[in-house]
Amino acid sequence: MSRPPPELDLSLPEPLARREFLRMLGAAGAATLSMSAPRALGAESAQRVPAKADACILIWLAGGMAAPETFDPKRYAPYEKGMSYSQVLSTFPSIPTAVDGVRICEGLEGVAGVMDRGTLIRSAFQPDLGSILHSRHQFHWHTGYVPPQTVACPHIGAWMARVLGPRNPVMPAFINVGQRLEGVGESEELKAFTTAGFFGGEFGPMNLPYPEEASAAVRPPKGMDPGRFVNRDREFRRLVDASPDRDLLSDHQRNSMLRSMDNAYRLLSAKERAAFDISLEPKEVQQDYDTGRFGRGCLLARRLVENGARFVEVTTEYVPFFHWDTHGKGHETVGRLHKEIDRPIARLIRDLEARGLLDRTLVVIASEFSRDAMIEGRPGSAAKDQAFNRGTTIENPDHYGLHRHFTGGTSVMMFGGGVKKGHVHGATADERPLVAIKDPVSIEDLHATIFTLMGVSPKAAFDIEGRPFYSTVDGKGRAVGGVMA
Amino acid sequence: MRGAPFLLAFAAAAAAAAADFSHEIVPILRKHCAECHTGDKKKGGLSMNTRADLIEGSEDGPVVKPGDLASRMLAVVVSADKDERMPPKGPGLSEAEVAKLRSWVADGLKWDEGFAFKKPAYEPPLKPRTPELPAAVEGRAHPVDRVLDAWTAKTGLARPAPASDSAFLRRAHLDLIGLLPTPEETTAFLADSAPDKRERLVRRLLARDVDYADHWMSFWNDLLRNDYAGTGYIDGGRKQITGWLYAFLVNNRPYDAFVRELIAPTPDSEGFSKGIVWRGAVSAGQLPQLQFSQSVSQAFLGINMKCASCHDSFVDRWKLKDAYGLAAIYSAKPMELVRCDVATGRTAEAAWPFPELGQVDAAAPREERLRQLAALMTHPENGRFQRTVVNRLWHRLMGRGVVHPVDAMQSEPWNQDLLDVLANRLVESKYDLRAVLAFIATSEAYRSRAEVLSADADEGAYVYRGPRAKRLTAEQFVDSVWRVADAYPGKIDASVVRAPAGAAPPSGLVAQPVWSDDLTGQRARLPAAGEVRTFRGSLAVHGAVKRAFVVAGCDNEFELWVNGVRVASGDNWTDPQLADVTAHVRTGRNEVVARARNAGSKPNAAAFWAQLHVRSASGDQVLATSPQWQWTESAPGPDGVVPKDAKWQPSAVVNQPGVWASAESKMNQMVAGAVGGSLLRPRAGLLKADLLQRTLGRPNREQIVSMRPNELSTLEAIDLANGAALADLVDRGAANLLRRKWDSPSALARHVYLAALCREPSPAELAVAAGMVGEAPSTTGVADLLWGVFMLPEFQTVR
Repeated sequence: MSRPPPELDLSLPEPLARREFLRMLGAAGAATLSMSAPRALGAESAQRVPAKADACILIWLAGGMAAPETFDPKRYAPYEKGMSYSQVLSTFPSIPTAVDGVRICEGLEGVAGVMDRGTLIRSAFQPDLGSILHSRHQFHWHTGYVPPQTVACPHIGAWMARVLGPRNPVMPAFINVGQRLEGVGESEELKAFTTAGFFGGEFGPMNLPYPEEASAAVRPPKGMDPGRFVNRDREFRRLVDASPDRDLLSDHQRNSMLRSMDNAYRLLSAKERAAFDISLEPKEVQQDYDTGRFGRGCLLARRLVENGARFVEVTTEYVPFFHWDTHGKGHETVGRLHKEIDRPIARLIRDLEARGLLDRTLVVIASEFSRDAMIEGRPGSAAKDQAFNRGTTIENPDHYGLHRHFTGGTSVMMFGGGVKKGHVHGATADERPLVAIKDPVSIEDLHATIFTLMGVSPKAAFDIEGRPFYSTVDGKGRAVGGVMA
Repeated sequence: MRGAPFLLAFAAAAAAAAADFSHEIVPILRKHCAECHTGDKKKGGLSMNTRADLIEGSEDGPVVKPGDLASRMLAVVVSADKDERMPPKGPGLSEAEVAKLRSWVADGLKWDEGFAFKKPAYEPPLKPRTPELPAAVEGRAHPVDRVLDAWTAKTGLARPAPASDSAFLRRAHLDLIGLLPTPEETTAFLADSAPDKRERLVRRLLARDVDYADHWMSFWNDLLRNDYAGTGYIDGGRKQITGWLYAFLVNNRPYDAFVRELIAPTPDSEGFSKGIVWRGAVSAGQLPQLQFSQSVSQAFLGINMKCASCHDSFVDRWKLKDAYGLAAIYSAKPMELVRCDVATGRTAEAAWPFPELGQVDAAAPREERLRQLAALMTHPENGRFQRTVVNRLWHRLMGRGVVHPVDAMQSEPWNQDLLDVLANRLVESKYDLRAVLAFIATSEAYRSRAEVLSADADEGAYVYRGPRAKRLTAEQFVDSVWRVADAYPGKIDASVVRAPAGAAPPSGLVAQPVWSDDLTGQRARLPAAGEVRTFRGSLAVHGAVKRAFVVAGCDNEFELWVNGVRVASGDNWTDPQLADVTAHVRTGRNEVVARARNAGSKPNAAAFWAQLHVRSASGDQVLATSPQWQWTESAPGPDGVVPKDAKWQPSAVVNQPGVWASAESKMNQMVAGAVGGSLLRPRAGLLKADLLQRTLGRPNREQIVSMRPNELSTLEAIDLANGAALADLVDRGAANLLRRKWDSPSALARHVYLAALCREPSPAELAVAAGMVGEAPSTTGVADLLWGVFMLPEFQTVR
């Protein structure tokens, strides 16, 4: 459980009492809505549907998680020098889970233990976007639209921020944990979808690439003690009060700027900022989560949701050729990745449940596409083969694993808020090609499901440049009934 | 005659069946069709708003022909196919209604003269027009004021009051060159009592070529989707026009030539028309050809072709064939019209949307078609082209477009005469954008106090009440903070020559491009691809070293050691490096060694530059590449030590005028910046977007951006409150200010107000500000004052 932060609690300065904050926030919610911001088509309330969940945690296994190595085990073939690629469907044996008859891959024992809390979709699929560029598929997955687009598409987290608003007016509605946006490959492409797009900056992500440093984002600047921080803000307000600009700058412009400054100060001085500090967790808890940055991110996500965050994405991080982008040494790498994700995910689910939050928190585990040992894209696709080793036999353990991008069948795991418990939806073929053969789920329908559970209509629409822009393409995404409780 | 009664009876029956348009047909159409096919609505490209619209048909061709009972319209209203039947929802037409409709069609689609379901959409004039100027009031003779004064007189509103000198000074500086005036400039302007000082200021600012170009780069980068990093570059799917664009601005070349070179491009300007291509397949509506169609339409004509790239627009008059017409001009191959990703089987015909002014020859080769489009676009009779750009400039200076939003040039201006006065000024000045800016900025309207804006100011029709305050752009904010704090980054990212053509660049770089001496004389040759050379030079420093830095660059790669310490490296000739080497230079002999490598796949030009500056107790000394430097083929070790047996020979200066101008300009600025005293400081708009600029609204330039957000968001405010970048600048600013002598805490506080807000603080402000500085001024106090002033709404707006 969280304790108050050890440093001085920042009490609100004199000129602006709590009541004043709430009054200023009341009118337009916490958001400073731009006068030129796109308007909802129809009433704001028409953009919403009854929600089954209040918060969403998206666990993003960036780089292409091979379903046959994780949630959808197929025939297992252990490594033998000289074996044929055609023998390789899964490189891990399967294990039983808490749900009778449902097996997942060895290495995910923790997740297997909580399978009875959620629904496993095994029949998600993606389009082939020609040559497969991860960030392009990630853009598609995160916005619902294939880039490039004529307008700046909002991330699904921004949709939730815009349509639902923050759960707690102090907490940013959309928080993005674990992804660096500078200094990594394809970072410009990552930035293109890690954004509120045409909704405007108010609904954009708060980016926290390093979970262990997250608290710095809500603390006074480095080297500034809380006393000085409070004093600086008080003096700033005195400067504002003394300024003759009351006569010169309109109330509207001035107030909207000051409201944003107040919102910021409020978060930086609120008790909720403790949520950003994972070091306040008991040592045992920290250790259990700490399989690395991702695990720490899961702990941070839990704390943020406990304190009122609306949408939190936690990623293993996309860096070309690292993490789930397993072009080489697939088996060995995935074994390591199992260790990285298994304990934190299982613990996250159990912690949310123990706190009574799981029923109203939707946890989604997804990736931009799956992988295969032989097929790039989908059977018959023109996608360029991007595997490092393109021989027919495996002569080296480095080549044992699933190294090609596969878009024909992917697993998505969903827990909590409004989804069936202990359920499997859809299936892929047992022999190559491992395409979705039963109840296929497109990105549009998956989004419609997530949006519907969260209370955002899949037909939510905003007027941008005189045309409607929908939460799912053309408003046509349909929630998958088979997934929902 | 026997048949006559029968015939008469038949005629009577036909007459009875021939429906009464206004009483019988209009209600049917209104009930079943109007929702999607009248007014602005054109589902499937079909409008029934007027008879002509109806007869023109849908995207799929005609729907009804007078007298033709086989018309599609009559088929779809009775179709049993759920996907085909019209209307798609509800029970559809009754049998009686269908019968009426049939008889109406049979009878030739009679339509009451002039009837339209809704007033036809506004269609803006295309050609230029010369408004009659109202008489000047009270000597306010500027054409803009004559139009606006007449307008205010008519509305009965008071004319906006003039802005104060300090507000005007700050506004003009930020609007025209994006920089705050220095306290010295402010003091001089406020003290000037000449009646024409505002006009002189405008002309003086616009004559500052480099400052002007630095500032307006951001505007054009936004509009033309150019940036120094961004999506698409990764796969070569995008190309910068940076150097070309900057040269246009700094030399103030005319706007019509500018657009001609963007539409029918040179290799330096083709990045705009090439668009942005991510790896892989894209939907039909986002092919590079359609991007060309969209970008050209939006940037130069204020037309939104995005809807029409996929289907006939529902909201304005542009059709799929218009979008594809422009695309086909650009396309090297014939293009098939694709509607919502479904091929139509029809081939697009190269055409532009205003045939009134002439048309592109669809049969001409591509380059010729593009030249024709460029000529039509910049045709003197294309008033739309002129109005679109002057409206953008008016918006930048006055805070709101005459047509607003500025990309919706199809909609009605609030004052057509004003728009035309501006457009005509553009033409009279031979498309000189600075002349248009000067024209606006010397009007009384621009000199007025900013409108006091209420929250509902955008509800209802726009009412002119003076200029509107604008939020500082990210670049203006950062430039302003740098200037007040006197703290700048080391270098810029844009590859530009920051000097007008023919002007002597500011002194700084004396290093010459060198390579091995076998380039000259008998054995003259181009360096081989992959060729590696080691260079060295030495400098005897006389006094105790105070400060030393080195600037170096290479076409293509280099590593550089100072006295055996590796201090710099680079692998991009456009990106020279600056390193502080104070710790590595010593009194006595110093040696600089560099390993330089030429890249490429065949012999090509190569060059290496280095310039070491040392400030010592006995003065400044410079070591720069020249024929006095030596080269060898022997490679240095990791510690920069070259084998003793290396054979050293004199270097040769490479004579390739102009080839490396942008890199040399950058090195020049680095040297000038590091030495100090140069005006060519880095500008935020010439750097890649960092977190701070991004936070403050500098866009991803994936899409055309013509208006930045005017509001400060909470996440931005959080970053301003505790972000490392601003905190660091504020600390450096405080330290810089405290290095100077101040008579009192008040003097320092007054300086900050003058520098940041271009005015003296009020007594109440001075009391708070001086209190923050403290009796014994501390860096924390001054830093907090700087931060507080930067956070003031007054600082964050141009008003």
